[in-house]
Order: sequence, then C-alpha cells, then structure tokens
Amino acid sequence: MARIELCNLEKSFGAVKAVKNLSFTIEDGEFVVFVGPSGCGKTTTLRMIAGFEDPSAGEIRIDGRVVNDLEPRDRGLGMVFQSHALFPHKNVAQNIEFGLRMKSVPQADRVKRVREVADMVRISHLLEKMPNQCSGGEAQRVALARTLVTNPSTFLLDEPLSSLDAKLRRELRAECDRLHQTLKRTFIYVTHDQEEAMTLADRIVVMRSGEIVQVGSPMEIYSNPANYFVADFFGSPSMNLVAGEVVQNGTSTRFRSSWFDFALPERFKAATPGTATLGIRPEHVQVHVGTKGDIELPVRLVEPLGKDTLLYFDASNDRAFVAVTEGLGMADIKVGERVALSLDQHLTHLFDTEGRRVNTA
Amino acid sequence: MAVAALSAAEAPPQASPRAISRQRAIRRFKLSLLAPLIALFAFLLVPVLLLQLYFSFHQWTVYLSSWWDADYVGIDLFKEVLTDPRFGWATLRSLAFATSSTLGCFVFGFMLAYLMKRPFRGQAIYYIIFILPMLTVPVVVAYTAEMMLYQSGPINDVITRLSGFEFKPSWLSNPNIALMTVSLLEIWNWTPFSFIIMLAGLSAIPKEPVEAAEILGASKWRIFWEVELPLLRPVILLALVLRFLEAMAEFPKTWALFQGGPGSATETLPVYIFMTTWQYFQISKGAAMSYIVMLMMVVIVLLAIQLLRREKRSLDKMYEQSDEPIAGA
Amino acid sequence: MAMTKSRRRRITALVRYAVLSVWGVIAFFPIYWIVSTSFKLDTQWFAWPPYYFPSPPTFANYMNVWFGAEEYAQTQYAISSQKPLISLYNSTVIATTSTFLSVLFGSIIAYGVSRYRILSEVRMFQLLVLRMIPPIVIVAPLSLYYTAIGLIDTRLGLILVYFLTTLPYAVWMTKSFIDEVPREIEQAAEILGASRWRTVFEIVLPLIRSGLVATFLFILILTWSEYLLALIITKTQVTTLPIELSKYQGSTEGRVYGRQAALAVGITVPLMIVGLIIRRHLARGFSFGMVRR
Repeated sequence: MARIELCNLEKSFGAVKAVKNLSFTIEDGEFVVFVGPSGCGKTTTLRMIAGFEDPSAGEIRIDGRVVNDLEPRDRGLGMVFQSHALFPHKNVAQNIEFGLRMKSVPQADRVKRVREVADMVRISHLLEKMPNQCSGGEAQRVALARTLVTNPSTFLLDEPLSSLDAKLRRELRAECDRLHQTLKRTFIYVTHDQEEAMTLADRIVVMRSGEIVQVGSPMEIYSNPANYFVADFFGSPSMNLVAGEVVQNGTSTRFRSSWFDFALPERFKAATPGTATLGIRPEHVQVHVGTKGDIELPVRLVEPLGKDTLLYFDASNDRAFVAVTEGLGMADIKVGERVALSLDQHLTHLFDTEGRRVNTA
Repeated sequence: MAVAALSAAEAPPQASPRAISRQRAIRRFKLSLLAPLIALFAFLLVPVLLLQLYFSFHQWTVYLSSWWDADYVGIDLFKEVLTDPRFGWATLRSLAFATSSTLGCFVFGFMLAYLMKRPFRGQAIYYIIFILPMLTVPVVVAYTAEMMLYQSGPINDVITRLSGFEFKPSWLSNPNIALMTVSLLEIWNWTPFSFIIMLAGLSAIPKEPVEAAEILGASKWRIFWEVELPLLRPVILLALVLRFLEAMAEFPKTWALFQGGPGSATETLPVYIFMTTWQYFQISKGAAMSYIVMLMMVVIVLLAIQLLRREKRSLDKMYEQSDEPIAGA
Repeated sequence: MAMTKSRRRRITALVRYAVLSVWGVIAFFPIYWIVSTSFKLDTQWFAWPPYYFPSPPTFANYMNVWFGAEEYAQTQYAISSQKPLISLYNSTVIATTSTFLSVLFGSIIAYGVSRYRILSEVRMFQLLVLRMIPPIVIVAPLSLYYTAIGLIDTRLGLILVYFLTTLPYAVWMTKSFIDEVPREIEQAAEILGASRWRTVFEIVLPLIRSGLVATFLFILILTWSEYLLALIITKTQVTTLPIELSKYQGSTEGRVYGRQAALAVGITVPLMIVGLIIRRHLARGFSFGMVRR
C-alpha cells in the first residue's frame, strides 16, 4: 500500500550537503533500516520523507505520487521520535487519542481504538498516567501506540530506542519486529546501532556522508561488505582489518604486512599489487594452542563472555587482532603467551587502496 | 487477536489527494501570525508618527483653530528647540539623572546579588523584601516620598536620632538637591531590578570554572575579577543599558513630586516636553522637541541594541550549556 | 587551620546578614510608612515628632477614600466622591484586557519568530525600540489622533496603547519560553494530523502555560501602574487608579496623607501580590527573556 521512492534526493543546509543525490525505493511492507554514523544524513532523509524538511532537489513519491508539496499530515505516515515527543500536558490516553481527534473520529470509536492499541503494546495500565510518570520504555510504547492508532501506511522510526538501556532496547526491538509482522506495513527505521539494523531489517541501507554506501539484506551486508567502511561498521566485535600490501610472487598471490604474511586464496588471484587491507571476522579465526597456524601472536587480553571467549592479540599495527573461541576453554590462557592462529581462507575479505572490496574472480 | 482485527479491518489511508501547495500554506500561515502586529502598527503607530512629523514642521498651538491649516515653517521649530537653553539644561539634567541612578542601582543591586548568590537561612525572606520597591506603583513612590521627606518628617527624624546630629536637609524644596532626591527615589525604586537580573546571572554561572579556579588556589578576589566578572559581563551590560534607557524616560515620580520644580531643578527632558505641550500648549514646539529626543534616543537605543545583540549571544550560549527543564513540563 | 576557616566563615555570614538587613530596612521602611500612615488618625499624619505607629489604628482613611463614608470625614479632609471604585473598575478592565491581548498576540508572534523566523533577529531588536523610546515623545500626537478618531478618554483607547507598548515585552518573554519547547513535540502533533493553528493552540501554548501566566502577570504590573499615557489619554471619564491618586495632590485638599496612603495601599497591594507570585520570573520579564530562570 505504500511504496516509497526517493529520486535524486538532495538536501543542503547552507554550504553543508547533508544528503547527496540519493535514489532508493522502499517496497510496500518492507522493513528498511537506514544505518550509519551520526551526521551521515540518515535522519535528514527520514525527515524529508516525513515532510519536516524540504528537499533541496529531487522527488519523494509515495505510491507513485510526488509528495514533496504535501503537508506531513497529508502523507499518511506515522512517526516515532527519538525523544518519544509525547505531549507532556496530556495523559497517556489523551496522547494516543490525539491523532484520532485530528481525524474527527467519533468519541465512542476513539475510546475503543485507544483501548485496542493500548492492549496491543501492553500499556493498558498506563492510560490515566501523565507522560512524566512513565519510564523511558513505557513512554516509547506510548509513542508507538499513538502512531499505531492512526493506522498509517508507513511507520517512520527515528532512533526510537537510542535513549533506552540495553535490556529495554532488546525488548522493544522485539516489539517492533512483532508489530511489523502483524501489521504488514512499511517500516523505515533509522539507527546508528548496527546490531539493531541487523536484527530488524529486511534490507539495510548503509549511509555515509550523505551517500548510500551499500544496500542489502543483513546477511549480504555482513558477509559481503562493499567496502572497508561497511566491513568495519558491522559486526561485534568488529572485523579484523590488517593494513598491508598485495604482492604477486610468481604463481602465488600473497598479502604482506609488517607482522604477517598470508597466501591469498585463489579467488583473489587477479588482485592488483599494492596497498590493500585484509579483513577477517574474529569468529573466522581459529586458535590453536601449541600447533602451527598461519600466524603466531602474543595474547594481550582475554575476555570470557560465557558463551564465547574473546582473545585480543598484540599486532604491531594500532588495533588489536581479535579472535572468538567458543565456550570458556580458552579463558585460562595467559596474557603474553604466544598462540598460533589460522584464518578461514574462504571468509577473508580484501579491500583495495580506496577501500573498495576486491571482487572474487 | 485485536491486532489482526485492526490491520485487516481497514486499509491504511493513502496520501491525501487534496494537494494545497505547502509552500503557499506556510507563507499564508506566517503572514497571519504577523498580521496583528502589522495592523496595530498601521492603525496606531504610523498615524501617530506621521502626525508628529507634521507638527514638527507646522506652527500650531491649541489657540489657533484647526490644526490642518497650520503654517508650514520648515525647520524653524527645530532651530528654536536647539537654541533653547532650557532644552539644553533639561538634556543635561536627564543625563545626570539617568547616569547617577543607573550607577546607584548597579552598585547596590550588584552588592546584594553577590551577597545572595549562595543559599543561606532566610534568603527567601530577604529576596521578597528586596523586590518590594520594584512592585510599588511609581506614583505611589512619589507620594510616599512626600510623606517621608518633608523637613520634620520621619526620614530626617530617624537619621537625626541615629547619628545624634541635627540632620535637616529640605529634600523637596532645596533646588540644589531636588534632582538628587529624585535620583535617590529612582535608586530605591529600581535597585531590585538590577538585583534580580544580576542574581539570575550569578546563579547561571556554571560552577565548574569557579571550582576549578578555587582548586588552583586562586583567592576569592581573583576569582571574582578573573572568572565571575567576565562571565557576568553580558548580564551587567544588560542591567546597565535597560536601566539607563528607563531612567531617561522617567516621568511619573519626577512629575508627581516636583512638576519640574523647585525652580527648574527637576526639569528633565520628559518633564520639559510635557510642560511645553500641556502647560504652554506649544504643540508644535513639543513635537519638534519630541523628534529631537526621539532621534537622540534612537541613536542611543541602536547602540545599546548592538551591544545587547552581542551579549545576548553569549548569554544564549551560557544557557545552552546548562540544563534547564522545559517550561511547563 | 580548621578553627580559622570556620571563624572566617562565621564572620562572613555576619557581615552578610548585617549588610542585607540594612538594605532590608531601607527597602521596607517606606512601604511600612505608607501602610502605617493609612491607619493613622488625621492628627498623626504630619505630627512632630512623627508617629511611628498608628495609635490607635483606624480604618477611617479606607472607609472614607474607598467608600466615601461621610461619618469618617469629620474634618476638612473629607473626601466624598466615590471615584476610586470607578477607577478601580477602569484600571482592572484596562489592565487585564490590554495584558490579555498583549500576551495572546505576543505569544503568537513569538511562536512565529521561534519556529518560522517571521521576524529576523534585527527586527526583533527593532521591536524593542518601541519599548525603549520614552513614551512622552508620542503622547501629544497620540492624543490629537485619538481626539480625531474618538478614542480619547475611552477604555478602548488606553487598552490599545497599552497593548502596543507592552507587546515587545510579551513577544520577547514568551519567545524565551517557546524556545524551550522541543520541536519534535510539535512535529509529532503535525504528523498526527494537527493543522498549524491547532498545533499552536493545543500543543505549544498549553505547554508553556506557566510561562504565559508569568508573562501575563508581569505585563499586568506594567499596565496597572502606568501613569503618563493614562494621564493624557483619559481626561475625565475614564481615570485609572494612578491618576486618581495624583488628583489628591492639589492645593485645595492640602496634605491628606492618610487618605492618600489608604488609596496608595489599595493600588499597590494587588501589584505586590502579583509580583510575589511570579517573583522567580521577574528577571526574565524585565530583561526581555534574555536572562532566564
């Protein structure tokens, strides 16, 4: 019911270009997450869709119709704000009811709908309370209910969970997911948290300095990052990225850094020699005690997390090299001990001088 | 299964078909926000200023018949005003009055604010007592002064008893001190203004720089001069400028108490304009005088505004840094 | 070391209390004097040595001035008109109406400035000129203009002038409150379907209602005690209380201190009550919202 097209969208604030020539289509019923570091233009994009910012150039279409010149209220959208933006002088029921009153829904229907929606997000017990009597999580549920009640074709969510603590965030994340599945509406979600993006999205749009860097399903983004930036941004702990160079050595292609020499797999055969970055996710590094691996590094720090144990190794470049081992088997390893590591060849990534992914042959 | 009912019952609304141009709607909205101001200006301010201008160039007094037939006299009236020694003296008196009362309010207001900047027992009571003079109607201040300042009145009596010396200045009838009397009244009346503004300023000073200076071993005196005073500068300037402008316009006390007398000792600019217009009925001369005063004040106000604009920015920055609760929330 | 520090602190506190108390007496004594005079008998108003306490206190001044009660007017100080009550009514109507208009339209303009920048920063400061120019410079043409259009000596005339002259305060002060309302709250209302006006009246203004009340009361102080404009625009019909009070200052009545005091107390007490209610907002008001809290 709501297919949103962004065509060559631009937005500048004075001399600063917040969004540069952005084109993207959000399919009906899709859950799209815009993700990127702060200042990447994701919130500006969302606010342009909502109608709070006028694009400097380009078009926004909802179901094929250009809406640039429509008031926010006429676009059939719902929005949840980072600060939840509840009306502090109205109680929860009045907050939820507001959108219905604006649409002149009769009193009796309003009461019924408010109840329904409150049940849906489990805040029926809060209806008489004032917003300042609600906890952060409750307030965000109320904000969600207030948007739900108007039954919008599209939900815009602007970092709705970023002011909550970790546990509540997980809880409400599940709530968003459930709502999306039951309502089958389009969801556009903005966040700087890669984990949220990974868990919620049908498709992730990664943005950086006003431009789209990569679009794809969470799996695609995770396993085939388009460039150094995406590789680094997604995953926790983040990908090991080793700076070095590609060397063509007769028949074999090798990757070399000051502390590391690695025979690149067959698929990188065509890589041009020169400066490059080799990436491998910590969970794809195998740790062997005592035996020989691809490299040998001294342990700097051990982080037993319960389910896994993280091992940080001293690598002579600035960032520690990380490996994940299952369980607590490695928890007793001594700091300073040298350990052999081997990398899963099939899961290595190579980025060229500009940070672009080197495609496999 | 309320969820399913809700989602299935009705199709979500589409983007509404009524497409009024948003830009045009915003423009219209902005205009309607501004309309009352424009209407008020057009109805009240503009005609009055035009009339003022007319009278400044046409000789008319109420003894002549209709004012619209008055003779055009060019800039004669302005010449007359500018060569009138009474006007010059009135200007000097106004400046002296405004300057002295502004400084007085500042000194006392600052002293009180500084002594009250940290909470202590009884602070609330002192605060209430200190702001009472400001909440006294100016005309009432004038009459109260009259009841207290006559030669054998309570003020002289109290001072005589406390000091043991015969203290009998005639506050109200001695031409040499009459202007000072009004100035003292103004100080009594408006020290609370300087006080509350500077107290607000002092309490808005972030604590960190002061504490940092304390830890670095700075003396109270040095902290005052090198940390607090520079941070307080915008507030001080604000208090001085606003007070000065208000004092230049002071009329009720001066008029109700002295009517310009004794002699012409308290004939400030507002008083002289008032007398010219409403006692000598020289409307045109009054208008010309008003224009000159207005231009004078506009120059002062514009300079003041330059100053205020700069200082407001640093004030706003200060408030940005401090967390203030949302009004009414 | 600890000894000296605590002693120094005690001395500082002592000095502080001493200085503040001296000023407290200076600030309070005139107010005490006018209140006590209002309760004094005729013979004590102007006596030597001065009476510091009314003995015995009498309500005669109040009864005579406010209600024209003849039985209290045995002497030549008799005042038999009932004008003060009419003036009280005039003052109340004029002050509250003009203040209400000022705050209502002021807050709407302030909203426009805060959110849509309908007035640039320069224009906002130019608005202050309206307040900072002495009113004396416009009263003559204003009075002639009012005579021409029939507004002289009417409540409406005074209401409009007060509306105009207090508008800068209203705009500046309410703007400082509106600036503190997060924009997201308005945008939430907007996307939920509220029109622009609806957002102003149902969200923004109710949200700053305590600020609006403060602004209202603050401007009430100004309009209630205004003297010069009232003196000139209201000739005979519509006098306000400050003007009524100044009429007692005349050669014919002589020194009717007690009566004057009774009237003055009646005028000032409402003002003080209002001022004390909003005492925490006075700084914001007088500084055009530039100083907050």
